[in-house]
Amino acid sequence: MSNNLKNSMADNYFSLLGLPVSFDVDKAKLIQNYHEIQKSIHPDKFANATALERRLSVQKAAQINDALETLKNPIQCSIYLLSLYGIELGANDSNIDPEFLMEQMELRENLSEVGDKDDPLSELDNIMDDVSSRIKQAINVLGTLFQKLSFNDEKVENDEHLLKEAKAQVLKLQFLNRLQEECLNKEEDLAEQF
Amino acid sequence: MALLQISEPGQTTAPHQHKLAIGIDLGTTNSLVASLKSGLAETIADENGHHLLPSVVQFQGKNDNGYQTEVGHNAQQNASKDPMNTIVSVKRYMGRGLDDIKKHSIYDFVTEENSVVPRIRTVAGDVSAVEVSAEILKTLKQRSIEALGGDLTGAVITVPAYFDDAQRQATKDAAKLAGLNVLRLINEPTAAAVAYGLDTGSEGIHVIYDLGGGTFDISILKLTKGIFEVLSTAGDSALGGDDLDHVLTDWIIEEAQINEPDAMLLRQILDIARQTKETLSQQETSTLSVDLGKNKIWKAELSRQQFEKMIKPLIRKTLVPCRRALRDAGIDSDDIQDVVMVGGSTRIPLVRQMVGEFFSTEPLVDLDPDRVVAIGAARQADVLVGNKSDEDMLLLDVTPLSLGLETMGGLAEKVIHRNTTIPVARAQDFTTFKDGQTAMAIHVVQGERELISDCRSLARFELRGIPPMVAGAARIRVTFQIDADGLLSVSAREETSGVESSIQVKPSYGLSDGEIETMLKDSFSYAQDDIDARKLREVQVEASRVVEALNAALEEDGEKLLSSEERVEIRQAIDELVEIAKQSNQRAIKLKIEAVDKITAEFAQRRMDASINKALAGQRVDDLK
Repeated sequence: MSNNLKNSMADNYFSLLGLPVSFDVDKAKLIQNYHEIQKSIHPDKFANATALERRLSVQKAAQINDALETLKNPIQCSIYLLSLYGIELGANDSNIDPEFLMEQMELRENLSEVGDKDDPLSELDNIMDDVSSRIKQAINVLGTLFQKLSFNDEKVENDEHLLKEAKAQVLKLQFLNRLQEECLNKEEDLAEQF
Repeated sequence: MALLQISEPGQTTAPHQHKLAIGIDLGTTNSLVASLKSGLAETIADENGHHLLPSVVQFQGKNDNGYQTEVGHNAQQNASKDPMNTIVSVKRYMGRGLDDIKKHSIYDFVTEENSVVPRIRTVAGDVSAVEVSAEILKTLKQRSIEALGGDLTGAVITVPAYFDDAQRQATKDAAKLAGLNVLRLINEPTAAAVAYGLDTGSEGIHVIYDLGGGTFDISILKLTKGIFEVLSTAGDSALGGDDLDHVLTDWIIEEAQINEPDAMLLRQILDIARQTKETLSQQETSTLSVDLGKNKIWKAELSRQQFEKMIKPLIRKTLVPCRRALRDAGIDSDDIQDVVMVGGSTRIPLVRQMVGEFFSTEPLVDLDPDRVVAIGAARQADVLVGNKSDEDMLLLDVTPLSLGLETMGGLAEKVIHRNTTIPVARAQDFTTFKDGQTAMAIHVVQGERELISDCRSLARFELRGIPPMVAGAARIRVTFQIDADGLLSVSAREETSGVESSIQVKPSYGLSDGEIETMLKDSFSYAQDDIDARKLREVQVEASRVVEALNAALEEDGEKLLSSEERVEIRQAIDELVEIAKQSNQRAIKLKIEAVDKITAEFAQRRMDASINKALAGQRVDDLK
């Protein structure tokens, strides 16, 4: 596995943006490097260039944009890191512990009942605070897991276990993220009613 | 025709020459053109000293030279006498289908056979919104050529940030008809931010609230060292000052007890409504008087307070996108440095008041809300043609609407989310549903809603030539790309066999290439001979551009990035292209350019990668510690 990893390391989003492979992305540096690169390859810099160069620049700029998007978002970043280890999150990956699912159902139920409450907006705020703190917690757990993962180490067996755990954590995070999105949609709906 | 100048290989090209570039604000109510004069961007006036060109086109007839039209102030004056042939607010019809535009329109819309684009019936024939806009652009182009004293290298044209793909494509088509070389379509609020940001040089997060004649945009930008990064944008491409006029028009019709006004009366009332609205931004009350014909005059008094009550729901409607933009940008009101007001409708006191309350800050109104967009566009045009005025400036914009595909059950599956930085490319894999299936239909939509029927249909196309296989075995990768103009293109490939499938994208409300070609031929600027000459000239210009660029690239990186064999091969290809470009065989030149592209693609790729490494070099040194 570590061999696979090394092979894919040569040309990945981290190296593309001049950063070390890590879950703990230095945001300031990420943005700074992103700006520097876009200054040199953005299509606006090739407005007078040949058709070939214009086409290449659009493709490259799109790739850099995708890299930024991926690395600045913790969920996407962890999915990407897992993919570097050859682990893909499929559509049928629903191996989540029952306790977590129960919690989710409860939260969803609360959300669907928000409209009937006396003060729906502050009720929604409570749910959103709850979801945000769960997201923060999950990201922290992921951070610790990825830190233990030695990205070019030989201790493969240990890594296997950690990766499995990380994957489970990402799946949870996806759930929470979707819930947060629904909360925000709800907020928009409520706001439009006023 | 001027002879093509091609320099000797290895020789540097002519000394830097100042190129003429313009920025055009193609507005719903008024349009403007601006250009840079000794480092200062200024709007260009017509021979009477008017900067604003009313976006009004009166069609009078047609002859061998194309449409006979009156554009601007004269057309505006004729509007109430000749309402059916005088087109106002044509921007509202750009890229739109018949169902979208019938409301509040006095025009006689028709659709022709073999075309999805609605046309307006006039004495000069049936004209599409694209052709009407082209007339406005031609007028501005002519004005610029006279003022600047030379041929234009290119133009930047602004569009509302919330314009969808069809509306952007229609704008680009109009420019093509007007004979303008479009350097870039940029978003109006972004252009305003450029004008404002370069004016004040203030870094931080800025909100641009742009309420024009027919469209509303809100954009949140972050400005750092010359980089204008749009964090989010939202809006309503069918909400603007016109709608306020309509509310007032409805009120007048009701109060004056007018039954079904004819086109002339309706045009008169719409004009009075607009004047009243403008008066009430300055005064507390306004007197209205409508000539009902047969010596009957209706008179009334309207207070600002009454007017505000009428329009308040519409202004409140603009706050919903504001809230969404804040959310998508992931910022609070506290993070905002200032709110800049753009567009004529922001002169209305109630708009300023409500926006100020929403963002808890006094909105900035010190820049001329009419001119600021054109000025920003001119700045960007100057950068794009390479005049190096604001060399470090870079605009990073976003796509305003999510791009999705129709899936089973009429649902939209998002491929690219709104507020993704452009350019962007995303691939999606598809497979076959039946054994032996060789084609599949793909429906692309733009919008945020889950149901296809609630989104805007962008294009339908068919993938053909899929090798017959059992159901589910084929893997077709479709790549959606949104370029720096915000325009979509699609390509597809069957992965297991490597077959490139043919794609024909049919824009749902767009003019086909054939229709544009016909329009070009019909218009006097390009008689048939001209079209051929123009095509030859275009391809020769591209050839010289390729030769010039390659020579420069070889000089700069040839030693570093190429083997001596590769250098020889490229040099030879350049020499051949130079020879062929001297002749006037358009097709041969085109083919040769393609061949050269193929040979040099790898070199271009290496150069691109090298420039990324160079950009990162400063940072890399730090990493070494």
